[in-house]
Amino acid sequence: MVDVEQLKSDFLNTEFDRKDFVLDAQKLATVARISGETKAEFIDPEHPDFQAAPAFIASLASGRHLPIDFPTLGGIPMDGGKAVTCIKPVRAGVPLTGRTHLHEIYDKSGRSGRMVFVVARMEIMDPDGEHIATSDSRMVIRERPDA
Amino acid sequence: MTIRTITDVEFGAQLPVFTPDTSLSSTSTFAEAVGWGGGGRGGRFSDHDAAKKEGLPGALVPGIMAMGFLTSMIHSWSEAADVRHIDTVFRAPLLADDPCHIDGVVTDIDEATGIVQLDLTVKNEKDETRVFGTADVRLPLG
Repeated sequence: MVDVEQLKSDFLNTEFDRKDFVLDAQKLATVARISGETKAEFIDPEHPDFQAAPAFIASLASGRHLPIDFPTLGGIPMDGGKAVTCIKPVRAGVPLTGRTHLHEIYDKSGRSGRMVFVVARMEIMDPDGEHIATSDSRMVIRERPDA
Repeated sequence: MTIRTITDVEFGAQLPVFTPDTSLSSTSTFAEAVGWGGGGRGGRFSDHDAAKKEGLPGALVPGIMAMGFLTSMIHSWSEAADVRHIDTVFRAPLLADDPCHIDGVVTDIDEATGIVQLDLTVKNEKDETRVFGTADVRLPLG
């Protein structure tokens, strides 16, 4: 059985991935509109305050969610949820950088065994290096007894 | 009632029920726009048969699309609302072409900061919760 405290000690708060983005205005508008959004700043690229909706910000975190040397816990990670914190508007057409670290690791035990929860946090930075949004991806891994 | 400022919000108030578009064409368009279309896992959001071949009950609504539904619902409730934080828990798959509705309730109000907390629940026609969310929303001070 994997020692969660050891995982925390080994992996929390260490950046393991960095990605650069330039967001496409039409895609931002499509994602917002198809989700039922009505506010112009999310669906109209011509609006002076046009910006990414939280759902699009959450999509930026897709890709590698765990450090390359993170141990295999025996189960397939499942997507347990997403969270987005908006600090400043995330704009289209400007270079952005996403820096990812493991923010939280915890476990819960039930009748079917132990589940390990891992929260990967991507901090999104604008061209000046200012932190403008955070996207959390919560993975749930059902541990195999022999892992 | 139109919600323009924090003083318009009542603790425990229900938000108007929101009925999102979960059609396969919408889930497919969404997946394409976030880069999840085409081959690979794209079929799970755009093709019921392809999703079933993966062992899924049918094509899925992308989890983050459910987050999009929640923020749309919040803005439908109050155009003045500014979503500062939103957390979604994917409890069970939400299927494309499966009608659903979203309920919301005000769980906390901070009149000093203008922050309102909301609980939001996406349920299917069987009234089964598929996605649960919480949001911190800022409104103009009165």
